[in-house]
This record gives sequence, C-alpha cells and structure tokens, in this order.
Amino acid sequence: MSKKQRNISLAVFLGLIALLLVGIFLTKGAPKTETVTETMRDTVLHEAARINLFGITVNPALISAFCVTGILLLAALLLRIFAVPKFKDRPGRLQLLLEQGVGLFDGLAHENGARKTRFLSAYIFTAGAYIFFGTLFELLGFQAVTTAGASVSLPAPLADINGAISLGVLSYSVILFGGLFAAGPKGAGRALKDISLPISMSFRLFGALLSGAIVTELVYYYFSLSFVIPVIVGVLFTLLHAVIQAYVLTMLTAHFYEESTEKKPKKAKTE
Amino acid sequence: MSLPLNIDLQQILLHMLNFVLLFGGLYFILYKPVKKFMDGRASRYAEKEEETERRLREAEEAKAEYEDKLRNAESEIAAMKSEAAAQAAADAEAERERALADAEGIRRSAEAEADAEKQRLLRQANREISELAAQAAQKAVYGSAEEAFDSFLDRAERSDGE
Repeated sequence: MSKKQRNISLAVFLGLIALLLVGIFLTKGAPKTETVTETMRDTVLHEAARINLFGITVNPALISAFCVTGILLLAALLLRIFAVPKFKDRPGRLQLLLEQGVGLFDGLAHENGARKTRFLSAYIFTAGAYIFFGTLFELLGFQAVTTAGASVSLPAPLADINGAISLGVLSYSVILFGGLFAAGPKGAGRALKDISLPISMSFRLFGALLSGAIVTELVYYYFSLSFVIPVIVGVLFTLLHAVIQAYVLTMLTAHFYEESTEKKPKKAKTE
Repeated sequence: MSLPLNIDLQQILLHMLNFVLLFGGLYFILYKPVKKFMDGRASRYAEKEEETERRLREAEEAKAEYEDKLRNAESEIAAMKSEAAAQAAADAEAERERALADAEGIRRSAEAEADAEKQRLLRQANREISELAAQAAQKAVYGSAEEAFDSFLDRAERSDGE
C-alpha cells in the first residue's frame, strides 16, 4: 500500500467515525425506562427481571448457570471425542492447554500437602472452570425474555446471590466432609470451627462479581461513558475478575480443605 | 419465609443441582481421562528415569571396578616380572650345572679314553719289544750277535721315546 492510499484510507476511516458521532449526538436516544437507582437495585436483587423456567419463576442468573453448564459439557464432550484420543507424550497446543488446566488445579490441591485430594482436585477444577467461564458468559450478552415480556441480558451465574451461596455452601461441604473422611471427627470439628466460612465464601464471590456488574451497568447507563470505555470495562475487567475469582475460591477451598484433613501428630506425654 | 437480598432456597438448590451435574459431567468426560493420561505419562517417565539411574549406577560401578583393576595391574605386572626374573635365574643356574656336569663327563670320558690308549700303546710296545726280542734272538742265532744286540738297543730307545 502506497503512502497516498494509506492517507486516503485513514481519512475515510476518520470521516466515518465523525459522521457516526454527529448522527449519535443529533438523534434522540431512547427514553430511559428506569432510574439509575432502579437499575442498580435490579442488578443486585433481580426483583423485576424474572424468568419463567418450566413453571418456576427464577432469576436470569439461573438460566445463565444452566447455559454455562450446557456449553461446558458440550465442549468437554467434543474434546473427549476429538482431542483426548489423539493425546501424545509431546503435547500440541490444545493438549497443553487442557493439561495446564488440569495440572493447575491438581497442583493447587496438592501443594499444601492435603490428604485424599483426588476429589478435591476434581472439585476445584470444576469450580474454577465454572467461575471463569461463567463470568466470561456475561460478555456474550445472550438475551432472555422476562415474565413481564421484556428482554434481559443474561448476567454471570454468580452475580446472583443464590448462585454464590450455592457454590459457597458446596465448597464448605467439600471441606467438612473431606475433613471427616480424611481425619475423622477431629477433621470435621476443625471445619465446623470455621462455621462462618460458607457465608464469607458466598458473599466474597457475590460481592466481587456484583461490583464488576454494577460498574459495567453504570458505564452503560450514562450516555457520556458509552464510548470506548465499555471495551475496557466490559472486556478487560470481566477477564480480570474472572481469573481472580476463579483463583481465590479454588485457593481458599484447597487451603481450608488442607487444614481440615491434616493429621496432627500426637503430643508426647510429659511426665 | 421471605429472605433479604432476594435469597431463594429453591434457586440455591437449583444452582447446586446445576453445579453437581457440571461436576459429574466434567469429571467423567474430561478431567478423569486427561488426568489418567497425565498420570500414565508421568509413571512411564518415572520408570524410564529409574531405569536410567540404575544403568548409570551400574556404569559407575563398572568404571570404579576397572579403575581398581588398572591400579592393581601395575603391581601384578611387577610381581610377574620378578617371578619371571627368578625363573630365568633358576633356569640359567640349572643350565650351568648341567653344562658343568656334561664337562665333567667329557673330561672323565677323555681320561678313560687316554688311559685306554696308554694301555693299548703299552701293550703294543710290549708286543713289539717281544717281537724285537724274538728277532734279536733269531739274529743271534742266525747273525752277528753284536749287530743284533745294537739293533735291539736302538729299537728299544725309539720305543721309549714314543
């Protein structure tokens, strides 16, 4: 491409952007149907936007959860059929990616010297994948129809308090029963001492994902913030806290599991 | 009972069901086969490493053994040299003694031969003297007794000189 052609292309590109901006500012946007307070309230509580699922009225995040599970299971099935049988000792890119994923959570389960880690490593692998891909799911912007007949963009499954509580309680159950099976009643006792753990895990997850959702909603709500910034906020922030939250929950679960399953040496009797 | 923050027990259970389904599916479809492959490969590599270490250990032992043998070879060579020298000295002594014995035998044989020759010559001289005596007697009978006597004396002197 010559210098002249490049200049013409650049001028056309900038002219197109200028025309679009003029068009945007001259035309009236759609009237806002709700205030920012209502938007924030709905983001947090999902009271207005409800969806009918086989006769049960549920939050949109539950639909997201089923969608994420379906997508992940389908992807796993395709990988199992087409990729896993072709695994070699010297891995290719896809094999390396899968092995890294499995190896990362397996290593996390083993790194503190916990016992009976087979179930734990499978659990945190699933939880990590669920949180990571579930958080990224909101970027796809899948639409669902609410009971009121409006369209709603499906959020991350864990941006709903019910989803966060379910994962927190399940993680605590893994820690509790892991301690019971690996270290007996003492192990379960150690897990029970941290009775606030399911609450803290649930609300940490919910708070982290909700804060991201609120910031994104605010950015999209105000017209002046709707250019360029959503690319950074919507994509980069989502990617960032998907990684962070997947790591935090799996790391905490592995850490508390190790504490509850460790067998402490018996103290020598002092005369 | 209405819970704050729109917490709904039924939805929590639905989320749990969803996660348990995901856990079971991911575990059996993906996690287990990948982990099995990784464990199998790790155990194969561990076996290979163990085999390599065993062979390395054997090679080091063999090397140490050869070095030990090499160190001992010098002393073995010195021992063999001294043994060979002693053997050579013994052989030389035996050869010398055998040569001396042979020389003694030759000397004795020569002396015996010389004695035998002397006896033979003496016998021959006696015989010749007898013959001369007989001839002298014959000449005395048949010729001048004096000539015969002179002739006898000359012959006797010659035979003594021999």
